[in-house]
Amino acid sequence: MKATNPLYSRHGASTVRVCAGIAVIAALFAFPRFVENPYVLHMMILFFLSTLMGQSWNIIGGYTGQYSVGHAAYFGTGAYTTLILLSNWEIAPWYGMWVGIAASVVLALIIGSICFRLRGPYFVLASIAVAEIVRGTALNLTNITKGAEGILVTDIPVFKIGETIVTDFSSKVPYYYIALVLALTIIGVTWLVQHSKLGYYFQAIREDQDAAHSLGINLTIWKNSALVISAAFTSLAGSFYAIFVKFIDPSTVLPLDLSVQIVLISIIGGIGTIFGPVIGSLVLVPLSEALRSNVISEGLINSGLVSEESGVGIFLKEHLAHAHVLIYGILVVVVILFMPEGVLGYVRKMASKKKRGEA
Amino acid sequence: MAILEIKHVSKFFGGLAANSDVSFEMNQGMIMGLIGPNGAGKTTLFNCITGYYPPSKGEVIFDGRRMNGLQPDAVCKLGMARTWQKVRPLAKMSVVDNVMVGALCRTNSLKKARAMAMEQVRVVRLEHRADFLAGGLPIGERKKLEVARVLATQPKLLLLDEVMGGLNPAESEEIIQLILDIRTLGITQMVIEHDMKAIMRISDRIVVLNSGEKLAEGAPDEIVKNPEVVAAYLGSE
Repeated sequence: MKATNPLYSRHGASTVRVCAGIAVIAALFAFPRFVENPYVLHMMILFFLSTLMGQSWNIIGGYTGQYSVGHAAYFGTGAYTTLILLSNWEIAPWYGMWVGIAASVVLALIIGSICFRLRGPYFVLASIAVAEIVRGTALNLTNITKGAEGILVTDIPVFKIGETIVTDFSSKVPYYYIALVLALTIIGVTWLVQHSKLGYYFQAIREDQDAAHSLGINLTIWKNSALVISAAFTSLAGSFYAIFVKFIDPSTVLPLDLSVQIVLISIIGGIGTIFGPVIGSLVLVPLSEALRSNVISEGLINSGLVSEESGVGIFLKEHLAHAHVLIYGILVVVVILFMPEGVLGYVRKMASKKKRGEA
Repeated sequence: MAILEIKHVSKFFGGLAANSDVSFEMNQGMIMGLIGPNGAGKTTLFNCITGYYPPSKGEVIFDGRRMNGLQPDAVCKLGMARTWQKVRPLAKMSVVDNVMVGALCRTNSLKKARAMAMEQVRVVRLEHRADFLAGGLPIGERKKLEVARVLATQPKLLLLDEVMGGLNPAESEEIIQLILDIRTLGITQMVIEHDMKAIMRISDRIVVLNSGEKLAEGAPDEIVKNPEVVAAYLGSE
């Protein structure tokens, strides 16, 4: 069984790949100049945000093998810190996000020191429990977080460097660029992790903790390092979400749903790979949008496959929009059954099969 | 000079004494065989020495330093490395990457680690498998990979837990040669083995454990003649 993962290639990325990458990035930067439709930009922003969240989780879950199902805690911490600082003290989000990162890192170290004593499913349960504690705290600490009422901001301050106005956040375009840069940054960070001692130690811990321990790897230090990197970027995603949507409450930025969705991005795309979360986002963002906006049931009815008056048609119209969690669940089952290494792993396997077939 | 001193080490699990009052010393450069029937406490003793269990009583002194309470990673950094009876390859990583994980204990540079790893891969003669995933190797090669990986941590003392278990005679012979090669590198070794012929051939001294206690210690030819050892293995009378 020859290694096919690019991590094991000693030749690095080929010229073709580097050129293709640069072309894609350039196209993404030029995109808002040609497409002004705010809905399309909105979808792109969600795609970048999803990539950022998925990739952040990938570092602790995919590379280090510690399946945290409590990443909403860091997302919410970033979101809350940014908006509390903005609404109470008018501290601009590009300063607030750093405070959010600091708060999330502290939280990660506390959570890590408790939960990393546990392994496997016990770690998963503990990570869920701790995130629920954070949600409960945010819900009940009403004098700071306004509890279930949530925090609403109407204006994001104008971003100035010196006297020059960089952007006033009046359109989707500045958010597009911020989200794009964040997504590219986390992909870059993941690449760096994979090509350094960190990547080797994280993967060794994932493959066999006891073996890793006996080879001189301090499990506490390295697991916490992975969690801190992951939490910092998840927190950034939360900060970005908060200023993008301008409203947060515990049920949007801290629920268990969100933690699960963060995990799914990587699992569906392919865990422990650089492009897995990108692929996962490409699948999940349009899917969840289609389910939410009733596009699927309308499509089925308009195409004549399902009659609007029939029981099925009425059922689809009434309920499909609320069934996105169900569809997500089915998707996960399908992926786990037929593509245990995610979409990316499946495509690679098919590609190598085809290659062998031709040879 | 003694590189490892085991002083009155006991390990209790509840009321069960897996090791009781075991003492012996190992000199620099020697190969010590550790034998005994199943359940004699050999692997438990390895775990006590390498930091997986703290000994309930007694001390482990390595290179003049008391090791009690140190974690396995610290033990490894001090120059004591162990292999596992049940091999533990990092399955989704290639052979050379597995060995690099060991080498990274001594360097932060991937380039240096790769060079160090390739050297050890050659020592165990797995260079033709360097880019294969460790999870796909047959058992004989997995055992060699274990040895290469611990060698890459640059140990002074190597503890090998049944590296010949489950191997065919030809493969066992290769491992025997490997252990003798490692001795020429100046690395002290403690070897747990069930293959009596092999252990008698390679060991300078042998310690026999039975029911957690040290039953006998001596040169191989003394051990085979020891009536207590014979009784422990074959039953008395």
